[in-house]
Amino acid sequence: MEKFSPVGEKDVTRAIVTEFAKQFEEYVESDCIIIGAGPSGLMAGRSLAKAGKKVLIVERNNYLGGGFWIGGYLMNKVTVRHPAERALDELGIPYKEVINGLLVADGPHACSKLIASACDSGVKFANMTAFDDLVLKEDGRVYGAVINWTPISALPREITCVDPVAIESAIVIDATGHDAQVVKKLEERGLIKTKGFGAMWVERSEDLVVEHTGEVYPGLIVTGMAVSTTYGLPRMGPTFGAMLLSGEVAAEVALEKLG
Amino acid sequence: MKVRQIEKVILYDEGPAETLDIGEIAEYIGDKLSRTEVEVRGNPLAFFPERSQDYARKFASIKVQDASRKIASKQEPLYGEIEYEKRRILGKTRSFGILYDGFHLHKILREIVLREERGLEFIHILFTSRLFATWDEGDKRYHLRASVYGIPSIISTTGLIEAPAKPREYYLLKQQYERLGKDVTEFKDRFKGRFIDYEDKRLTEVVKGYVMQAVFYSLTGDSFCEDKGCRLYNAHWQEELIFAHLESEYEFCRRHEKILDDLHRE
Repeated sequence: MEKFSPVGEKDVTRAIVTEFAKQFEEYVESDCIIIGAGPSGLMAGRSLAKAGKKVLIVERNNYLGGGFWIGGYLMNKVTVRHPAERALDELGIPYKEVINGLLVADGPHACSKLIASACDSGVKFANMTAFDDLVLKEDGRVYGAVINWTPISALPREITCVDPVAIESAIVIDATGHDAQVVKKLEERGLIKTKGFGAMWVERSEDLVVEHTGEVYPGLIVTGMAVSTTYGLPRMGPTFGAMLLSGEVAAEVALEKLG
Repeated sequence: MKVRQIEKVILYDEGPAETLDIGEIAEYIGDKLSRTEVEVRGNPLAFFPERSQDYARKFASIKVQDASRKIASKQEPLYGEIEYEKRRILGKTRSFGILYDGFHLHKILREIVLREERGLEFIHILFTSRLFATWDEGDKRYHLRASVYGIPSIISTTGLIEAPAKPREYYLLKQQYERLGKDVTEFKDRFKGRFIDYEDKRLTEVVKGYVMQAVFYSLTGDSFCEDKGCRLYNAHWQEELIFAHLESEYEFCRRHEKILDDLHRE
């Protein structure tokens, strides 16, 4: 058996710290910060990076992919409805049509392909990183995000006097799902008023999520389920087509803004 | 019964279901009201492109989020909501699924009727895919509607599908599917034919009956009939709707048939 290279612990640590610090410093300023690495955030990041933009996705969990690993009821088959198979084809995700217009794919396969494609396109990630607040400047526009390590929020307050840091970008995308965390920060300041959930109307909700994806406040684009919360659209069932296509639309809008 | 004379029926198309054949409906009205001119006028919102921003804001501010909460007359819409409505008005999207307050919607759409055509000798009927509901002070909640009659009368192709209730077992099964996180389209086949659905070929035939309800509203001031086999029956269930418009042996009850016959003779 070929032996592993003889490197010491300090070399391993140095490699991690150096590479992390280099990337972190580089991405203190980017073209676009996406909050949330679920399917819509990953799709948006992938499309933007493919277009040559510098993209950082902030994810509070260690794992990427959000709810895309599993379908409804903890079962790991994900469904998409026509015409979202276009995105599956593009990502090389195998699927089968169960009834006319309804496709089903293996959750782990679909999610890992999407993550890999985002990475291959050049997206960088800050995982285990929680979104804390927005950077708002005098002109009232959004210019970035305030972030902190995720574990900070889980520790007792007395020992977590760890200030967050701010990172800047020309565009921020809220892909935080039902919570619409980024938009909610604007709401806390009285700058916007979200509508909450509408009634569940699966057949119609996907079209509307894609239709309403876009800039909700200067410098802030909303995508995926955060769109639903922001605009009070009908709730969706466990189907992911709109997440994938909404991510694409968010990227298109961002590209238009970035020029 | 005193019946008004109708000079002209004007049909408007504000993005209803694609399966709706307005030409066929116009012919049908021409047949029923032989002395009346019928005009198909297209999308009324497109007549005034300069007002699209204003209309978009108005539509965006009458959305119902919660069926148990009556909306204020002027809700402040978000930029994205106005943009969506603008795309709808300009025909850039046909997606639908927003619920509007029917009373306020009617008020907005009343503006499309030309001043010189607001007399009772004109009937204005607008077809739309917008879904609307009206507030009921009795049980303090919104109820979905397939139509509202007035100037103009509004017939919602989405309302025809969503407002009259489907069979009870449909809802029980739907609830089970949703709890399990399964897609509801899977079980729709089990109820095939028992309700009007999206892209249903029977839609045009059913809409003819609703159009006649609008016509009778203008002729007599009363849109409805208590006879379950008459097209003017106010169906609360899809099965009643299908019977009245598609399965009944007669189109109109004797009383309403006679009114139409008298109109022919005059």
